[in-house]
Amino acid sequence: MARKSIITGKESEMSKSSIQNNIRKLRFLKGEMTQQELADLVQVSRQTIVAIEKGNYSPSLELAFRFAHVFKTPLEEVFTYKADNTK
Amino acid sequence: MLTGLLLTVIFGLLVYQRHQQGQFDLTEDFRAWGIVFLIFIGVSVVIRIIIQIIFHIINAIATRSEDVPREDERDKLIKLKATRNSYYAFTSGFVLSVVGLALGMPVHWIFIAFVASGLIAEILDNGSQIYYYRKGV
Repeated sequence: MARKSIITGKESEMSKSSIQNNIRKLRFLKGEMTQQELADLVQVSRQTIVAIEKGNYSPSLELAFRFAHVFKTPLEEVFTYKADNTK
Repeated sequence: MLTGLLLTVIFGLLVYQRHQQGQFDLTEDFRAWGIVFLIFIGVSVVIRIIIQIIFHIINAIATRSEDVPREDERDKLIKLKATRNSYYAFTSGFVLSVVGLALGMPVHWIFIAFVASGLIAEILDNGSQIYYYRKGV
């Protein structure tokens, strides 16, 4: 399943999940917040942030809400669900 | 993973050597198997602790950071899935050894199957962790 990158507009083959996220864009809008800074704020490792941004890991509901809290935005603006009709 | 593999191979060779020298008979003496297993557990725990300490010292020197990386929900999920995979491997080994007994294999083969399936389980555990960290979970 290909996904359009929010920042670059390129198709990404990395996404394995039907849950997509705007974390890269939201970090950019937060003054180019680094992955490490975000990781510290939501209390996970930087590698987990990388995996979530790439679509290699879908976070728990609690972690998803923590992202929304950090970015001061509704959850739907951080994560969106795209149903895969091919399954 | 490498530590487990090396430990098992070296310890296995030492035990086999002593068995060949006639210090104990592993085909008949099941008490000897019990002692060998207990010694192996003790030795492997101590060596793993020493290796962990050395690794943390080298890591702290290389990264100049004393912080131990915290385990988050992704780490826990990966560990859980890896443990599940290793459990399947060990259970399969146990079932195969029981099947072997039913088919008339010598009883000491069950212990060899334990060691082999334990080793495969550990390799699968660590291999799964590497796979999930690289490919996603």
